[in-house]
Amino acid sequence: MLIKFTLNNKPVTVEAPADITLSVLLRDYLKMTGTKEACEVGECGSCSVILDGELVNSCLVAAPSVMGREVTSIEGIHDADGSPNDLQRNFIAKGAVQCGYCIPGMVMASEALLAKKAEPTREEIRIALAGNLCRCTGYMQIVDAIETTAEERTKNGTNLKRENRSQ
Amino acid sequence: MAKYDYVMAHTVEEAVGLLNEPGLRSIPLAGGTDIYVALRVNPVWFDRLVDIGRIPEMTEIQEDENRISIGAAVTFSKAAGSKILREKVPFLVEACESIGGPAVRNCGTFGGNVANAAVCADSLPSLVCLEATAHLVSPKGERQIKVAHLVKAPHETGIEKGELLTHFSFDIPSKSARSCFIKIGRRKAQSISRLSIAVLGSLDSENNIDFVRICPGAAVSSPTRFLNVENALIGNQPGEALFTSAADQLVAEMIASTGRRWSTPYKEVALKAIAERSLKKIFLEDGSAHVN
Amino acid sequence: MTEYKYIGKPAQRVDALDKVMGKTKYVGDMSLPGMLYARTLRSDQPHARIKRLDVSPALKVPGVIAVITSDDFANHGNFGFPISDHYMLAYEKVRHVGEGIASVAAETPEAAIEGVNAIIYELEPLPAVLDMDHALDPDAPQVGPDRTDRKHPNFIGHFPVYKGNPQDKLAECDVVSDHQYETVMQEHAYLETEGGLAIPTAEGGVTVYLSCQSPFIPKGHLCSTLNLPDDRVRIIVPPVGGTFGGKDDLNYQTAGQVAALALKSGRPVRMTFSREESIIASYKRGAMRMKIRLGADKDGTLRACEFKSTYDSGAYSSQSPFSSWRASIHAMGAYRYDDCSVDINTVYSNTSYAGAYRGFGNTEVCSGIEQAIDEMADALKIDPIEFRLKNCLKVGDITPHGQMLDESVGLTDCLLKVRKMSDWNRKRDEFANKSDGDKRRGIGVAALFHGTSLGAEGVDEASSTIEIHEDNLITLTSGLTDYGTGARTVYTLVAAEILGVDPSRILVHNPDTNTAIDSGPTVASRTTMLGGNAVRIAVLNLIQNIDWAAADYLQCDLHQIHRDGENYIGPSEEPIPWESVVQHARDMGLVLSAHGRWTAPEIDWDEEKGTGTPYFAYHFGAQVAEVEVDLKTGLTDVKGIWAVHDLGKVIFPQGAYGQLYGGISHGLGYALYEDLDFQDGFAQNVNFDTYLIPTAVDMPEIQGGFVEAAFSKGPFGAKNIAEPSMVPTAPAILNAIANATGRRIRKLPANLERVMLGKTLAKKGSAESCKISLKIT
Repeated sequence: MLIKFTLNNKPVTVEAPADITLSVLLRDYLKMTGTKEACEVGECGSCSVILDGELVNSCLVAAPSVMGREVTSIEGIHDADGSPNDLQRNFIAKGAVQCGYCIPGMVMASEALLAKKAEPTREEIRIALAGNLCRCTGYMQIVDAIETTAEERTKNGTNLKRENRSQ
Repeated sequence: MAKYDYVMAHTVEEAVGLLNEPGLRSIPLAGGTDIYVALRVNPVWFDRLVDIGRIPEMTEIQEDENRISIGAAVTFSKAAGSKILREKVPFLVEACESIGGPAVRNCGTFGGNVANAAVCADSLPSLVCLEATAHLVSPKGERQIKVAHLVKAPHETGIEKGELLTHFSFDIPSKSARSCFIKIGRRKAQSISRLSIAVLGSLDSENNIDFVRICPGAAVSSPTRFLNVENALIGNQPGEALFTSAADQLVAEMIASTGRRWSTPYKEVALKAIAERSLKKIFLEDGSAHVN
Repeated sequence: MTEYKYIGKPAQRVDALDKVMGKTKYVGDMSLPGMLYARTLRSDQPHARIKRLDVSPALKVPGVIAVITSDDFANHGNFGFPISDHYMLAYEKVRHVGEGIASVAAETPEAAIEGVNAIIYELEPLPAVLDMDHALDPDAPQVGPDRTDRKHPNFIGHFPVYKGNPQDKLAECDVVSDHQYETVMQEHAYLETEGGLAIPTAEGGVTVYLSCQSPFIPKGHLCSTLNLPDDRVRIIVPPVGGTFGGKDDLNYQTAGQVAALALKSGRPVRMTFSREESIIASYKRGAMRMKIRLGADKDGTLRACEFKSTYDSGAYSSQSPFSSWRASIHAMGAYRYDDCSVDINTVYSNTSYAGAYRGFGNTEVCSGIEQAIDEMADALKIDPIEFRLKNCLKVGDITPHGQMLDESVGLTDCLLKVRKMSDWNRKRDEFANKSDGDKRRGIGVAALFHGTSLGAEGVDEASSTIEIHEDNLITLTSGLTDYGTGARTVYTLVAAEILGVDPSRILVHNPDTNTAIDSGPTVASRTTMLGGNAVRIAVLNLIQNIDWAAADYLQCDLHQIHRDGENYIGPSEEPIPWESVVQHARDMGLVLSAHGRWTAPEIDWDEEKGTGTPYFAYHFGAQVAEVEVDLKTGLTDVKGIWAVHDLGKVIFPQGAYGQLYGGISHGLGYALYEDLDFQDGFAQNVNFDTYLIPTAVDMPEIQGGFVEAAFSKGPFGAKNIAEPSMVPTAPAILNAIANATGRRIRKLPANLERVMLGKTLAKKGSAESCKISLKIT
């Protein structure tokens, strides 16, 4: 079936079978491999994307169900000129990235959190990341990166206004 | 060759029509959080998914007079953020917040949770305490049945083929009512419930327990209130000795229902503890708290 | 104190940018025109004879292009080191659930699964060894290969350490403790599952992009099992989504399978595992049953240790001979003893096989010995940290192996620092006084030592190359891989420091057997020591030519030149840019590339006598865990962890902390949650919904610190951190639980039932999870 939706602010039309999930649609049909698959039962969060403003596990979303809706994947998270945004720069600066496999999902979960909560505590950050498993980092530096980004966004007044990250 | 087809329904009527189209095994799709997991261990058992996740009347939470209605496609996040639910039935909100992680809560729905009827389903204890009614629609018309009767056994409900759960409704508890949901998981977040309990109750002006409902989760084969235990509490002043005796009775009745199983040595201690704690929380402290 | 420009200074991981943008391509992200998808038929029996195997029905499935079995490999696909007991695909027998029997390549993943499910086969069940304590019974079913030396075929090896006579010494001690501890198999749970992409080459060879740790090893196996000459097989390691030791052996089979399918079909073939397949089929940390006797004087001096254990290597030996040896060296803990004996017997069984996993035997024994040390401290009524301070190894001590430690022993410092950081004394008092109520607080400690690199396990050297290109890009190769560890960044910083250039000029290539030099496996936390030293030597070799060019350019002696940033400054005081010096070197016709090889210092080990010099350097550390245990639910809430480690020298701070925090997360899972729950050879927990690893909520805030007791032969004094970071975590938590509850958990994990009831409660399991997952997904 023909699936038309908005992906990272751009209209997309793709022919795909009705029985695939959004993660398969993104990775295999649209060749957007930034979204990962690591468990396919909605436990690890490496497939996280933002669907109509909400964080979802794309491995549990029926691909046809995104018809007419807005999806943001990791490829849509960056500054206007294509360079890493403040959150991504902080992930790098704080050492939050090791093997990198969980990172796209972590970035999506972080952006989803910061869109709803301006200055989460470290505990609140951890709760927001509960659905994103990481086996390399022990989470500390990821929490540091998000905490720092939240502080910076409050300071320069950019938090909670960033409805759509790929401006 | 796709193993199954997909169609989106825009109204309840359309959904019921699609679910009952002859020659096709159609099932409702809400959040997908149970179906895709089940597909990893079961060969496909349907020909078509009918997406009911965005039917307007099924995604609403409404309050009128003395009843609240929650659409079957309301997600746990939406429920957790609802002012009506947070004020009127906080233990239901606690249950919603305890399910999975944020992404799962953004997709998982009440209807899916009830229809899947896992023995550890976290929305069930509160819904049963609230004596919630499930509303179903089929080509034959509408019917209502208590959630506690609809869920019969693990993964077994009385939902008939072609029937669609549209919403749940329950009386709003009295203003003085307090509630509590406690869940035990194997880790601190994103855990299947090992055991849980939902408790709702109130005290009269003389500080006697005048109303209490108790429903444990993942304890017996389908979620149910323990009426004998409730009755033993009513009319009494709250106190630790009373709660311990009620908790002991709850455990005894659980064991009477399930027999002594491999998990009983664990559950008899843990259930007693969370029963005591939840009763203490609502009758001797300030009400709702999510305690792991 | 030398002041470095890059070493030990904040730095950014060199490959992080692509990762945060989602641009990094792992094996499962790679695709090529005409690529086929491969899946493997895996055994649903723990032990069986392959009575019949007919793959022809698979070839009739639309879309299936090629199918292979052990017949498609030379010598039946036999491989393995040090014991060659393994097969690319099962030959005649299957020895564990999940063992590969045949592999199918098809146009789509769905067709590949259909092809696998179409294969007709019959497995005739054989009696299985399901309990390591019965593996060596005279009538035990045979799991291991035939032997010619009359030893039991299920016996892999005996690994001793002997000093004096502990049995006699124990009889003399004031206090003797005698306790047992048991660990279970642990799953690595790397987020990226196993996978490989093989591409047939025009010359009849094959290139494999393999998510692995040690590319030269599968290269050798492919050459021998596919009868290909050395220059026809190339292994490239793309970015890898975590290994923790887990992407060797099984992924060699993956490499062999995709390579054979690629050669047979003439097309690229990619195989990636589902999560259930990964958990069911992949190798694990071995399981261990330990009996530890300790003897001490009333004044707290440790005198004797007698450590006995059986180590379950499961169906294949894999790296167990090496991890058993490492376990034996570390089994008595980082302490002085008058007399000591360690006897580890490693056996085969019919569960998932045991291979390398972070800590490599030390994690297992440390979880036992550090609990035993605590139980002895308790018996002596001495504070656990005081007890360790009194007995721990220091510079100048002779270890129970007979090795004199002449430098770089920071354990005392680590214990003192971690005690302070965790506010140990105050909390011990406070928690001791609150011994009622359902929720109990406790605090516990564990110490470790961890030999750096391979030790006496084998030849220990690494090589690196460096080249300055025409456009002044500097490239480095190493035979060692970075699978998230940060090794590439470490090598970049080492090279930048010695060359005196900005790290952004340097690019470390992904390991490629065509261009890197075999440096042994990327294991044993050896990348900084061995790989870093190799880089250092390569750079020092290169620098000779650059220095020569600088002196020639400035027309002075070398000793008259100093550096200011990247610039060279001679007697004239005029700063000359680095590029100009390099260009001058070119003009002089000097070679701007170099090799470097570093060989580890000589060590020796007598396998019979159990003495020698097992490692040339040791990492030391100590961790403290604070817990709150709910006695009525059995849930352990880890409130905080403090960790201080002597890693010689911090080269890449964020990387070192990252390894520390990450290792601790493995240790916390090992202690509290992770349980495959093998029943009759079938794992019960085969995906992340039931095999539980810590989430961000389960992990506490960790305060880490480093002691830099520099090792003279390490690059800038560095030793290692990658594995040691996880080794003491589980015993620290278990000791904290004991402190909180008075209950000693003797079998991991300390799950809800064990903590609440003090015993194991297990649901009767089934083969279902395994069987279903292997068929459908």
